[in-house]
Amino acid sequence: MERMDQDGIPGMNDDKLDALFGRYREACPDREASAGFMPHLWEQIEARRSAVSSSWFRLWAQVWLVATLAVAIVIGGILIPRFENPPAYQASYVDVLTAADSANDAVALPVGETE
Amino acid sequence: MLIEFELIEKAKNGDDGAFNQVVQAYRKRILGTIARLIGKPEDVEDVGQEVFLRLYFSLDQLRAAELFEPWLYRLTVNAAYDYLRRQKRRHEHRMSDLSEQQVMMADASAGGKQQVEEDRRTKIREMVHSLLEKVSEEDRILLMMKEVEGLSLKELEKIYKVNENALKVRLFRARQRVLKAFESQE
Repeated sequence: MERMDQDGIPGMNDDKLDALFGRYREACPDREASAGFMPHLWEQIEARRSAVSSSWFRLWAQVWLVATLAVAIVIGGILIPRFENPPAYQASYVDVLTAADSANDAVALPVGETE
Repeated sequence: MLIEFELIEKAKNGDDGAFNQVVQAYRKRILGTIARLIGKPEDVEDVGQEVFLRLYFSLDQLRAAELFEPWLYRLTVNAAYDYLRRQKRRHEHRMSDLSEQQVMMADASAGGKQQVEEDRRTKIREMVHSLLEKVSEEDRILLMMKEVEGLSLKELEKIYKVNENALKVRLFRARQRVLKAFESQE
């Protein structure tokens, strides 16, 4: 039995449309790929892979650059000025001993006495 | 399924040989589906390449091997839809835009039985394409997947991730529009 569409359009039915779709399916059968299909596909995959890996490399390079700059700033701004501070003991060990000796001599000799 | 789940798992885990086998198993069917969806034989392989390229780079997101076919159909539908949208933007109809088949037809001087058969097929293709122009690209693809590719509502539900009732309504409306267009052509 032929089905009428919802609007009841005379002369047109779902079966005819189904048959048309069926004939269309036959008129457009599944098709074989050309010989170059697989090689071209792999070329595209490789191209995209290398694009992805180069973008990762670029990202890593940027991260390393930023990290290097940060380390340089830390070294230049904090560590170098700290090393440039005057050392706690500027005199040599011999100078310190000499100074200590002369101080002891001054204490040992009573005031007014001379050799 | 045209292949074993194990092969899909291997491809998913980065085995290029397994991926190659997956493509070889499905490419004929997918190219046929694309040909019916876009209606331009000369562009079928390009769209097919895009489908398998997307498959390669998204396979790791596939949750289970059982969902592979709906997943592949979804990629096919999306690639076909993207193609149709791009085509819609270009409104050029030059000689170079004629399909290979049309050019071959134009060049063919010999008649014969084969030619008559090809003429008949071309007429059917043109008729269906002109009918489907009455509906949006989305509805056109949905209708094709249901009526021509023969997918069930359950399968379409997995592909479109829309519930069955919503699909039924959409299909019914699209079909009504096509029926009216068909009636007016007759």
